[in-house]
Amino acid sequence: MSELIPYLLTVVFVSFVINLVIALYGIFARPTLVKKIIALTIFSDSLNSLAIFVGYRMVPKGVPAPPVVVNYTSPQGPAQLAKVAVDPLPQALVLTAIVIGLAVTLFMVKVTMQVYRVYGTTSVRKLERIEQSNREEVEEEVIE
Amino acid sequence: MIGLIAALLMAVAAVTSIVFTYLAVVEKNLVQAVVFSAVQSTMYALIYFLLMAPDIVLVYLPVGVGIYPAIILLLIKKTDKVDE
Amino acid sequence: MRVTDLVVAASIVALALLLSYAMLLGGIGPVPVRSELRTLALNYILLTYNPVKIIYSALAPEGVTAIVWDYRGLDTYFETAVMFLAIISVVALTHGCKVRIGLGRGGMSLIVKTTTRILMPLIVLAGVSITMHGWLTPGGGFQGGATIAVATVLALVTYSLDTLAKHGIRKKVLLAMRSAGLIGIALTAVALLLVGLAIGVNAYIFQNQERVGSPLAFPAYFGGTPTGGSLLFYNLFEAFAVSAGLSLVIIMASLRESEVRSALRGEGVE
Repeated sequence: MSELIPYLLTVVFVSFVINLVIALYGIFARPTLVKKIIALTIFSDSLNSLAIFVGYRMVPKGVPAPPVVVNYTSPQGPAQLAKVAVDPLPQALVLTAIVIGLAVTLFMVKVTMQVYRVYGTTSVRKLERIEQSNREEVEEEVIE
Repeated sequence: MIGLIAALLMAVAAVTSIVFTYLAVVEKNLVQAVVFSAVQSTMYALIYFLLMAPDIVLVYLPVGVGIYPAIILLLIKKTDKVDE
Repeated sequence: MRVTDLVVAASIVALALLLSYAMLLGGIGPVPVRSELRTLALNYILLTYNPVKIIYSALAPEGVTAIVWDYRGLDTYFETAVMFLAIISVVALTHGCKVRIGLGRGGMSLIVKTTTRILMPLIVLAGVSITMHGWLTPGGGFQGGATIAVATVLALVTYSLDTLAKHGIRKKVLLAMRSAGLIGIALTAVALLLVGLAIGVNAYIFQNQERVGSPLAFPAYFGGTPTGGSLLFYNLFEAFAVSAGLSLVIIMASLRESEVRSALRGEGVE
């Protein structure tokens, strides 16, 4: 029975890595830009989850506690919390990472809208064909 | 005992998130893909709560289930609707 | 969602379960989850509310907010700058597009409008509550601001863009709110420095309580409850700035295509 909790935590860790791999496949295998953006958000979320998982700890009896000093009036409060609390530093770093990921995604969505307005499609294969035909037209003009 | 229930719930949520991630990446109808991605975000929010990170839950719920699907649905309305 | 997709997903789940069992059996061993804290984390938890050692403390019972705004305040400053850059770039790419009033169909049906009218103040209230408890319980400025932005998204979808513009949620107003929030954060960061320059004592930027070599401090208690010093002001201004900024991006992304194309081609700009 005491072997079950490490097994379940390992399942969580392996599932984060598998989500990472599936999202990476989605980024380079799906043709439209919108699907690439969706897969990129899943990728960054799984990476942040790995960072939060590093900060977890196992206590011998019961469950760990979030790093909030609940009874701050007694002078033993922080010392009692230090016996059961999880690591607060990865959570602060992941907060910054989520905000930066949000900012980059918002900008990418705006640029994708502009690409659709100019070219009429967001599929990478069709964009490549349009670029190829544009380049052939320019080469024909130069040769003549 | 409580630790066992928390770890079991974490493992169930993680395994469900694998299923929804795969369906979100493979699906050709883009609106359904966004819905699958939002369900996967909810599973992740449950895992964050069980990993004792309540600040991250309060960031992740409005951003992952509110802002991301809203802005990607606006993008889908203005561009392609099928992933081909 | 065909049957083959579900079968492949179930097989990936089986792969995850078997792989973690194989990791547990030997070879790599179980995932190294520690059973005692690292030294840095122990120091953060013992110092985040410590009325005895005020020189290293932030006097806020919430550990993560104290790290985000006091111990690693410069990280948060740069993250706010990156968010500001993204919002400004989205606004600059739709320069010159106007919202012509009167073109919309007026929104959704009456049932949806009535439900939204009840729900929106509750969402804003929840966001304000999350902000105002940010230094005592989990929460803070960014969390509350993002929740309030969700209320704007709801209002945009249920009523139309014209109704929002008629009620005063326009680009200029939201940009002014965002700038006011950012100026507030900058002023709080240099407040003690300016006071120190005026009086003639030593002070630092991003200073919260007394530090080594500087006796100035923000007021740390308000009627018996700890306020976290400067964390109160940081949370307030950050919620202001974030809610206005995210609402602005959603509104800019939902402008009508006919307006945007005519503005981009050069017609109709006045």
